[in-house]
Order: sequence, then structure tokens, then C-alpha cells
Amino acid sequence: MQQYGKATYNFAYRLTGNEADARDLTQDAFIRVYRAWRSFQPGTSFLSWIYRIVTNLHRDELRRRKGRFQEELPEDNAPANFGGQRPLAVTPIEDYVERQLGEPLSKALGQLSAEQRQVVVLADIEEYSYQEIAEIMGCSIGTVRSRLHRARALLRRLVERAQRPT
Amino acid sequence: MMEHLNNDFLIDYLHGQLPPEDDALAHAHLESCASCRGEYEAEAALGEALRSTARAEELEFPSMIAAEIWQQVRDARPSLASQLASLFRPAIAVPVAAVAVVALYFAAPLAQYAGTPAKHVSANYYLEEHAAQQAQNPLGERSPTAAQLIESSAADIGNAADLAAAADAPPLAMMAAADASR
Repeated sequence: MQQYGKATYNFAYRLTGNEADARDLTQDAFIRVYRAWRSFQPGTSFLSWIYRIVTNLHRDELRRRKGRFQEELPEDNAPANFGGQRPLAVTPIEDYVERQLGEPLSKALGQLSAEQRQVVVLADIEEYSYQEIAEIMGCSIGTVRSRLHRARALLRRLVERAQRPT
Repeated sequence: MMEHLNNDFLIDYLHGQLPPEDDALAHAHLESCASCRGEYEAEAALGEALRSTARAEELEFPSMIAAEIWQQVRDARPSLASQLASLFRPAIAVPVAAVAVVALYFAAPLAQYAGTPAKHVSANYYLEEHAAQQAQNPLGERSPTAAQLIESSAADIGNAADLAAAADAPPLAMMAAADASR
């Protein structure tokens, strides 16, 4: 579990943007992995199977929250206000790391919609192929491609805006 | 000179997701077009920035998560009761019920004998009956009284209670036994 735990936890952290949600997501994903152990196809990538579970759980969780709080999920091309998901308790060290290195990219990443964030994390950070991302996200390659194009265009705009001297 | 490559095309090129002919086309174009190369480098820099940020922010896997997962997995392990209950799930219960029905069907005639307790029939009844028949038979060689029959058979067969215990033996066989004992 240690081997995949760290990768899964970090992946979950990129998707959720906070450690508390990343912990819950990782935990739920591994319990699901344990339960569905027999349905895993040998010879396929174990990590991308876990990522697929994490992505599904993340989407379900967002749907659940949307239902509960009547939060509007942003459209694919609309920036999301990600601030609402960040828990109040963020340690000073995390704050520091985020200010030093994460800014402004982490912040921009947090402003993408869930699907856009997923596709950017999978394509650019995890460096999966479009085919693999389509399998993980359960959508077509065309959808992966268009989501990535829009997400990256939006990211660049957000980063450039943040870097512009005010 | 071909027109400039749009960013969507460059993003696919950057991720190595273009068909080979388009990939070769983009590669050739980027060699000669500074403007597109600049745009490509900006896209590549974004990818690099995302990865380096991710590396810088990389979190250690909290051991408490692993502990919590194992705890939940242990708790989720089915109890003995639910394992027993799982025996009654349709995949198992239906064939078992079918076999039971078939077995019952064939066993039913046997159960008529096996199921009802053997009647406590007194051996004396048969002996007296036999003696009466013998007495009425004018052609019989001998016609002993019931008392005589009982007396003579009691020595060999034991008491009547023992006979009663073996009452599921057909009456005829018992009569034969009584006869033989004489």
C-alpha cells in the first residue's frame, strides 16, 4: 500500500486541493480496491486502475456535495471558485510552500472545474496518454482532448493574469 | 509556407498524441516558424511548471491513512453470521432447494414406513390367531391350543416384548418362526 499510497494520495490532493479531502478520497479508494480486488485485470496498470477509482469517487463526491449545498458546478469552460472546498485549518508550513512554489499555478489549477483539473493532472503531471486518460475518466478521447485544450488555455490565462503587475 | 499551428494542435503535439503524419508536419513547421516555436515553448513551459510545482508540493503518505484503511478493511470483513447468511444467497439456495425437493419426492414413499413409529403389536395376538386358525382347520395335523403355542414358543423366542420390538418384521415370517420353534 505504501508504494501506491503516496502516488494516490498526491493525485487525490491535486484533485481536491486540500489534505483532508485527499485523505478521505485515498482511504475510500483503497477500501474499494480491496473489495474489488478480484475484478482487477492482471497485466493492466494497477496505478491507473486506482486513479480511475479516485477520479470516480471524486466525481461522485462533488455530485453529492452539489446536491447537498446546491452548489453550482462550473461548466467545462467556466472557472470554478475553488476556495469553498479548502478547509479552514491549513498549517503555516503548507501556506508557506504554497506561497513560495504553488503560486500562482496551484491557485490557477484550483480555479479549474473538476473535470479540467483531472485532465490536466493526468495529462501533464502524471503524463498519461489521451487513451489512458479516457479509460481513467470514463469518457472519449475527443472529450479528453477538448477538456485538456480548454483547461490549458484557461490555466495560461489565469497564470498570466496573476503574474501581470497590478 | 503553411499557416500557423493553433494551440490545440500544439498541445496534442506536446503530449505526443498526434497521428504520425501530423506529428511530422508540426515538427517540420516548428523548425522553420519562430512564432509557433515560441507558442510551443510556452505550452511546454506550462507542463514543466505543473510538474515541478507538483514535485515541490509532493506530500508524504500519512501512515494514519494506511492504519485507518486496514482498520476499515478488518471491520468490513464479513462476520460468521453474515457468512452463514451468504449460504442462503440465491446462487446457492436455489440448487440446494431443488435437490431437496427431488430427494423429498423420492423419499416420500419410504417415509410412510420410516416416519410412522412401529406399532406395538403383541406377539401373542399372532400366536393366538394362528392357533385359532389351526384349531378350525379340520385337515390340520395338529391343532394345539393358544396356551400351548405360547408356552412352546416363549422358550425359543424369548418374551413377547422382544417380539413386539421386532414387530416391523412381516407377520408371516414371525409365524414361520413360531412354527419352526415347535
